Amino acid sequence: MTKDEIIEVIKVVIEDNLDDVSAGDIDPRKSMKDYGANSLDMIEVVSCSMRELNIKVPRAELAELQNIEALADKFLEYTDA
Amino acid sequence: MPDNILNFSLADFFFNDNPDVLGAPSDFEEWMAHPAVRKGFSFFEQVLLEAPRVSTRILSNLDGREHRIINLTSYNYLGLSTHPEVIAASKAALDKYGLGSSGAPLLSGTLDIHVEFARRLAEFKGKEDCLLYSSGLGANVGAIQGIMRKGDYLIMDEKCHKSLVDGGTLSGAKMLFFAHNDLDNLQMMLEKAKGKRILVVVEGVYSMDGDLPKLPEILDLCEAYNAGSYIDEAHSTLIFGENGRGVAEHFGVEDRIGVSFGTLSKSFGGVGGFVCATKSLIRYLKGYSSAWNFSCAPSPAVTGGLMKALEVATRDSSLRDTLWANVSYLKKGLEGLGLDLGGSESHVIPIIIGPSGEKLMGYAGAMQKRGLFLQPVDFPAVPAHARRFRISVSSQLSREEMDETLTIIEDVIVKGAD
Repeated sequence: MTKDEIIEVIKVVIEDNLDDVSAGDIDPRKSMKDYGANSLDMIEVVSCSMRELNIKVPRAELAELQNIEALADKFLEYTDA
Repeated sequence: MPDNILNFSLADFFFNDNPDVLGAPSDFEEWMAHPAVRKGFSFFEQVLLEAPRVSTRILSNLDGREHRIINLTSYNYLGLSTHPEVIAASKAALDKYGLGSSGAPLLSGTLDIHVEFARRLAEFKGKEDCLLYSSGLGANVGAIQGIMRKGDYLIMDEKCHKSLVDGGTLSGAKMLFFAHNDLDNLQMMLEKAKGKRILVVVEGVYSMDGDLPKLPEILDLCEAYNAGSYIDEAHSTLIFGENGRGVAEHFGVEDRIGVSFGTLSKSFGGVGGFVCATKSLIRYLKGYSSAWNFSCAPSPAVTGGLMKALEVATRDSSLRDTLWANVSYLKKGLEGLGLDLGGSESHVIPIIIGPSGEKLMGYAGAMQKRGLFLQPVDFPAVPAHARRFRISVSSQLSREEMDETLTIIEDVIVKGAD
């Protein structure tokens, strides 16, 4: 799976979980917070994305990530594993 | 389970993929069975064999044996849970009313002792009325759920307690979390919610960091945006302020607070919670706060003890003066050891160890072996890069116990002794 494909998965999950956000408008260089996500929304988005990608990444490795692209990079490490 | 098993935490098993709804996640048991994970969890649910005083006995999970320890983990900040007058008052209430209230407060559970204690708490907090709950967590969940509705905005500091978050989730209100004590971030969120019904929630003392809210400035923003204010004074009631009324008194802003929450399990030494507000809001909550009107009223035996605890803690300042003297002595000693105490401004003092969970658990074990019960606080309760110990200072601490504490901390954390 490529990084772009992972970003597409995350975008769709964000659209499903946040109000007034469509996948096409999401810029991966931004944080989910920029689209109105609170910390509970972010947990939901991360969990649904991991389920979709069939991977499990420890939360402790996600805490310092700054944007959606960084999240995709981290997910990529686990899809390659 | 992957090789990096030790990077996982309880945060990773919340979502459950087991098709059996009554089963734990497929890899949860495997994770819990790992020796290193088991060792980490062995610090939790250790059994105290005596009252939660500073000097008590513990049945250690580490070696299965009984040990006398210095306990800096309990919330018995003023030692009131075992104060002789409190015990006597509790026994008297037990004799008079029995163990339980045997009913929900709206129906048959309200006893004269509940009415009187609620009246005294409202008077103490300078509010019109007070609602008593059987649990502190229940009071926060119940009050927030009773006040907020779908379409409303609940804006809270990101470090607020889980009970406040759960109350928000239950209410259906839109929840926004502002960066800890960040006024610009709070204002941005207030702008976003402008025109809606908004409640801003902060704590008096943040429980994992021991710091205080920027309360006057936060209230300025609340007033500018016509938002209500709710302060959780779980760790600050009976401790902060000239009369012990809490952080709102400390900042001189009591009359600007909308809802004042307190717990009865920490400095009060019992169990339960309360919210103080206008008569009108309390009357409304009695109809809609499920944790109050669908729960049995507090135990009269506990309520009798609590009423005495309030009296003992407020008839003079001796207990909190002793506590603050102890805070000052311990902080000076810890700072002298070069430890990272974060931004603590209170009797809750973190010792921040850093990102290594292994180091944290190693220190916890070594300190316990030497007779110091200091609970490790791990991710996800605190950020992964700032795992820590949390000292709950008590007025019961003697100078000798504080010196011994400092020696053990120096030996283990500073010098690295096993």
